[in-house]
Amino acid sequence: MATVARPAHPLLEARGISKAFGKVQALVSVDFRVGYQEVVGLVGDNGAGKSTLIKIITGVHPPDSGQLFFEGRPAHLASPKEARALGIETVYQDLALVEQMSIARNFFLGNEPIRRVGPLPLLDGATMHRRTEQALREIGITTLRSASQDVGVLSGGERQAIAIGRTMHFGAKLIILDEPTSALSIKETRKVLDYVGQAKRRGLSVIFITHNLYHVYPVSDRIVVLDHGRKIGDFARDAVSIDDLISLITLQREPAREA
Amino acid sequence: MRDVGDKAISGGAEAKAVKMLPAAPPERWRRLLAIRELGVLIALIALIVIFTFLQPAFLTLDTFGDILTQAAELGVAAVGVTFLMIAGEFDLSVGSTFAFAGVLLALLVTRFSVSPFLAVPAALLFAGVIGLLNGLITLATRIPSFITTLGTMMMWRGLALAITGGWPISILTASTLLDVLGGRAVYSTLRISALWLLIVTAVFWALLGKTAYGNWVFATGGKREAARALGVPVNRVKLINFSVAGVLAGTAGFLQFGRMSSMSPVWGDALALEAIAAAVIGGTSLMGGSGTIVGTILGAITMASIRVGLVMVGAPSYWYTAFLGVVIVLAVILNVKLEETFAWRR
Repeated sequence: MATVARPAHPLLEARGISKAFGKVQALVSVDFRVGYQEVVGLVGDNGAGKSTLIKIITGVHPPDSGQLFFEGRPAHLASPKEARALGIETVYQDLALVEQMSIARNFFLGNEPIRRVGPLPLLDGATMHRRTEQALREIGITTLRSASQDVGVLSGGERQAIAIGRTMHFGAKLIILDEPTSALSIKETRKVLDYVGQAKRRGLSVIFITHNLYHVYPVSDRIVVLDHGRKIGDFARDAVSIDDLISLITLQREPAREA
Repeated sequence: MRDVGDKAISGGAEAKAVKMLPAAPPERWRRLLAIRELGVLIALIALIVIFTFLQPAFLTLDTFGDILTQAAELGVAAVGVTFLMIAGEFDLSVGSTFAFAGVLLALLVTRFSVSPFLAVPAALLFAGVIGLLNGLITLATRIPSFITTLGTMMMWRGLALAITGGWPISILTASTLLDVLGGRAVYSTLRISALWLLIVTAVFWALLGKTAYGNWVFATGGKREAARALGVPVNRVKLINFSVAGVLAGTAGFLQFGRMSSMSPVWGDALALEAIAAAVIGGTSLMGGSGTIVGTILGAITMASIRVGLVMVGAPSYWYTAFLGVVIVLAVILNVKLEETFAWRR
């Protein structure tokens, strides 16, 4: 692992986050942190509160109580835009890619490079292609022929790679992957896990949300388990086995149902 | 594509030879097949061959001038319709905008003796406002633009009839305005309107393919939520494109006014469907997110060739509609099949 001098504070810290929707208490005083260059697996069953926590971190919902700190400073996120401006980027399941457009055009959508020809601001196609292909090589994609291919002909894993590569390229510090492997084949899943490793090696932090412990376990530095809105586990990966995690999640469920 | 090799190995030597073919095409072929306008090009060339075979005079400069004259008015309107369709919306009212803006211009310069330097921009602005209204109603109420513009189609047609009493408005003397819009040029059958078509095509081809705005148009029609998430102002893009469809429909009306020295409030009643036909023949998707300006122009030229060609081979004029219907369906089938077959090409 790279030994860079790190600040004393974590990249992201959430303290005592609570959130209720009507009578449903989605989160109860949850502490959550992500270190610099750390991959955190966020696991838990449906309704555990994973999405709510992520929506608070990305500025979609404000918390009812609790505080957020990003890079050591208090962060009051009023919108996803503000979270993005700080460097918090989400890659959603449906990916925010337009199938009918080329990889390069998708990659730079909303951030198009411009070159001026006289008074005319024209799209800098050469730069778009070069930088897209470079970014995809860096993240470890070698299967694509050219950045002018339509996204519609690509596999799910390749689309994930493009979405992840795009957030990396545009300066994200913390990438949130929402169920990135749920619709992928085993082979593709392995590739996406490689991309997560690449992102970390390039200095980024990742929150990896999933149901599937087998996907998140190999790439995580730390695993956080939520259940019914509470944090019931926060382990260094090396200090816990997959079986421990499974029994934690399932055992926690049983009494909850009987109660 | 990458699986082809594995499957072919289990499928024996012949299967391998056949299946490997699309996986590694020569670069030159790949580029040709990657042309999005391939379908309409094939259709147009086939029509030219057929008409020339039936009537050798079809393949002359005179005929070409006639075709371009027909294609100019349809083509200019169809570029606007294409621009809007790529952004994921329809405008059925372009025929009425065409008539209303044309009548408005004719009224301003004849009855109110307004200078063309003022009347042309004013009438164009009005056409743009008609388009903008379509957009505002559609976005504010979230009803489909198909319905909004079905309504405004009838409304503006009715208003054009009302302000003219149903009569055409003509300019009977020599007029520089008419010459500039649709006068004759260079050789007998070619008109200035072909130059306007060329300019409109070039401007919107560049806008769509060579600017950031063009990228936003494709994304807005392709996947609106994705575009919005990445900061594309999707509603503004739609409003702009609705306005563009209005302005270009008005421009097409001016070209017809220039050619006929007269503008009738009943003209252009089939324009909206013809413009959509030109767009889909040229490969534009009805679902939004894909299409090309050059494809639409080739679609308009295809339709104009059918019209001129059928006259030249002596077919009664009503055959045009029937024949056109067949060509539209065949061209779209061709486009879809080419897209399916050569999905690997890009």
